Amino acid sequence: MGGDRTIRETLRGWAFLAPLAVFILGFVFVPVAGTFIDSLHREVTFLPRAFIGLGNYRSLSSDPWFWQSLRFTVLFVLVSVPLELVLGMAFALLLHRPSRARGALRACVLLPWAVPAAVSGRVFELVCNFQYGPANYIAERLGLTVGPVNWLGSAWGAFFALVAGDTWKTAPFVAVLFLAGLSAIPGDLYRQAAVDRAGPLQRFTRITLPLLRPVVVVALLFRTIDALRVFDLVFVLTRGGPGGSTTSLSLYGYDAFAGGDVGYGSAVSVVLFLVAFALSAAYVRIGRFGRGLS
Amino acid sequence: MNGEGRTRLPYLAAAAAMTAYCIGPIVFMALTAVSRRPDFLSPGAGLEFTAAHFLEVLRTKSLHFLEYFRNSLVVSAVSAALSVSVAAPAAYAITRLEVPGRTAVLFSALAVSMFPQVSLVGYLFRLMTSLGWINTYAALVLPYTAWILPLSLWILTSYFSSVPRDLDRAALIDGCGPLEALRKVIVPVAAPGIFSTALLAFIFAFNELLFALMLTTDHHARTIPVGVALFEGLHGEIPWGAVMAAATLSTAPVVALTLLFQRRIIQGLTRGAVKE
Amino acid sequence: MNLDFRNVAKTFPSFRGAVPAVRDANFSVGDGELFILLGPSGCGKSTILNLAVGLERPTSGEIRFDGEIVASRERGIFVPPGKRNVAMVFQGYALYPHLNVRENIAFPLRVAGEAREEIDRSVARTASMLGIEELLRSRPSELSGGQRQRVAIARALVRKPRLFLLDEPLSNLDAALRAATRAELRRLQRALGVTTLYVTHDQTEAMTLGDRIALLRDGRILQTGTPRDLYEKPETPFAASFIGPYPMNLLKAVLEEEGGVRFVRLGAERLPLPPDRVPGERRPGSRNVLFGIRPEHVRAVPESPEPAPRGIVTAVEHLGRETVVTADIGGASLLAVAGEGTWKEGDIARLEIPMEFSHVFPEGDDPS
Repeated sequence: MGGDRTIRETLRGWAFLAPLAVFILGFVFVPVAGTFIDSLHREVTFLPRAFIGLGNYRSLSSDPWFWQSLRFTVLFVLVSVPLELVLGMAFALLLHRPSRARGALRACVLLPWAVPAAVSGRVFELVCNFQYGPANYIAERLGLTVGPVNWLGSAWGAFFALVAGDTWKTAPFVAVLFLAGLSAIPGDLYRQAAVDRAGPLQRFTRITLPLLRPVVVVALLFRTIDALRVFDLVFVLTRGGPGGSTTSLSLYGYDAFAGGDVGYGSAVSVVLFLVAFALSAAYVRIGRFGRGLS
Repeated sequence: MNGEGRTRLPYLAAAAAMTAYCIGPIVFMALTAVSRRPDFLSPGAGLEFTAAHFLEVLRTKSLHFLEYFRNSLVVSAVSAALSVSVAAPAAYAITRLEVPGRTAVLFSALAVSMFPQVSLVGYLFRLMTSLGWINTYAALVLPYTAWILPLSLWILTSYFSSVPRDLDRAALIDGCGPLEALRKVIVPVAAPGIFSTALLAFIFAFNELLFALMLTTDHHARTIPVGVALFEGLHGEIPWGAVMAAATLSTAPVVALTLLFQRRIIQGLTRGAVKE
Repeated sequence: MNLDFRNVAKTFPSFRGAVPAVRDANFSVGDGELFILLGPSGCGKSTILNLAVGLERPTSGEIRFDGEIVASRERGIFVPPGKRNVAMVFQGYALYPHLNVRENIAFPLRVAGEAREEIDRSVARTASMLGIEELLRSRPSELSGGQRQRVAIARALVRKPRLFLLDEPLSNLDAALRAATRAELRRLQRALGVTTLYVTHDQTEAMTLGDRIALLRDGRILQTGTPRDLYEKPETPFAASFIGPYPMNLLKAVLEEEGGVRFVRLGAERLPLPPDRVPGERRPGSRNVLFGIRPEHVRAVPESPEPAPRGIVTAVEHLGRETVVTADIGGASLLAVAGEGTWKEGDIARLEIPMEFSHVFPEGDDPS
């Protein structure tokens, strides 16, 4: 409604925003700030709280389990995110094709997204189970393995079980995003490309991919951040095992909290927060987020 | 140009593979829940139907399954309703009132949705403990609402900005104040969008694990995902049939919502992520 | 009701500094008058409408309803739109899509908290006035453009507003419907006697509907007057080219004087200027002028007894009732609508210019 607004109007606008601000300040920003402060304290059950500066961080730097969980988390992001994007793209292309069953297909693809990670974790836990899991029969039938394999008992087996579980649950979300991007590409472009005798592959690399770039950046950002802070699936499927080899940073922080060391857990959380923050900032710069805004 | 015929068979095969991949684990879960033995797929075993696992989950008092279920429904519904009713006026202010700082609000909301949950949960645990709210609905509803708010705000902002400005101008001229214009015109016109937002908010809250794990201790407030995650047998051996029965029951509401409102959910998800 | 704009200005803040949308607008609309704001897009006419209705606040100046200030920044007065008892018809009609026609029309009355029977009576009366009784149960999405238009008007008129505002109300209708609706709007407005502010970019609409017209350009009111005033006495080359069925011919010319009589030289001819057509001495000493004559006054004839410039016909357009001939006279082109004979390109024509209909503008006022 233009300029020349009065103080009263500005106040009214802020009043509309106030409940939101209260919630987000009170239950997100204050806790995050609290976590930063806690990370500078000795905050352990039954011990008096004491300021120890960077003490927790010093302990972190010489804690092999922390480095192990950082390594796992980064590896998990690097392996699962590209897989999810590729699979999501394949799904989106399949879903985009006109078909009578398109609605039903979309509903099917959306289902894994809606399943709670706690549930899918349990399902994949059973799938990989040494005694009962179908992963073993299938692998054996395909001639990949001889005899039952204890997938969750080996570091690599557990890692790939997690990647499989995460990909299953999140590739559909990526597919939905890409599908929206695909629908926004004018069909005329493809018709023109067909007139120009571009083959399917050329059409994909010359038209689809470049026009989909903004959506790809969004999906990449969301997926990277989500994979970086992975907790539910790891907690349920491997509980960080075997031997701590699949403990994500979130889980490591949680374990510290659950073990009563809030200060140490906070320090782990702060590290994760900073990594996530730095990555988001980098993406925002690269992807020039919110150009269409304001 | 007529490649349709030649690509039809590969397309069908790919579509079938995709469908199998997506619903396979869900079907496997449901079948295990009704199968007498969990290894019904193994050579030599077969599928023998039984309702015993479902009955066990529902009847065994010490499992508290129905209480978890009720807690989940209440907490998710209240959080979704609360987050939508808090986000709606904010989205109105952002799209209509030209409040100074509105872009900042929108972007801090985006930033918030990038925060790792674990970086809040330690402090929330201390806060709820000191308030004596651990293991109450409030301990979950308040953080959930805050946690879903950014998503709700983005989706609603997108929906509200697609409602023509002239409609609320007309309402203002017809004698409405801003709050009335929001209630009587924008909210009803954007009702499908608000519904999609609430649906997504509900599903997000329903599936949440970490907060519930930290901030509840037993069946008085514990939610389904925690129940399923911590479901262990009493005698060492994991009772897979019962676990899958519990998993199936807890997935049923979100799966039903997804199948019923597939279009709305897809619309909401893409609105939140892909700003046109 | 009387509407007064006194020295009203409106600037919008933008990244490149303040953008003036309306500069120093002064006009008043009398009780029951249909006043038109006419101009090309971006001229500020819609901003004036929004200022009158209260959707925008003036940056300076004051707006009065019956002498009472409704908006003045200097005095810190601003009456919000809902309290002004004004009604507006939007270009896109802005019908509430979630309400049926009856509820759309009743909406302002419900907000005002009127009694149920009173509302029913008012809605029925307004619906019958506009002939939309059968549509009351329909949703806006089920209506045609013309029907939506009527519903929008009904919603605006149902509570007897002090001021009725229309923003390009006919631009979404097809040509036939537009003419019919124009006539009906005129009839309704007369019958109700409601003070009306009407925005359009279409000069035909302005000429046929308006009691008076304010012509705007770049946020400024250039001229205010009756349609006839604007047609016969345009004060600027812009007004001359904007108003009328055809843009006025505007030719660079030199003013000559001989024996107390002024002439305009056009091609080889010297055309004497009647005394009342000589422009005011706004720029003393300037002899370069823009000479204006409306195409509908210029006659293209094969031969003429009068001093009429010769031109080569460069284009001929047959519009049925009339033929538009474009002729080149000494490098300038002149449109002639009146005339006789059949023409083809390359013909030589004499162009009779009735000097009593001519206009002379000081040069430098670019019409574009």
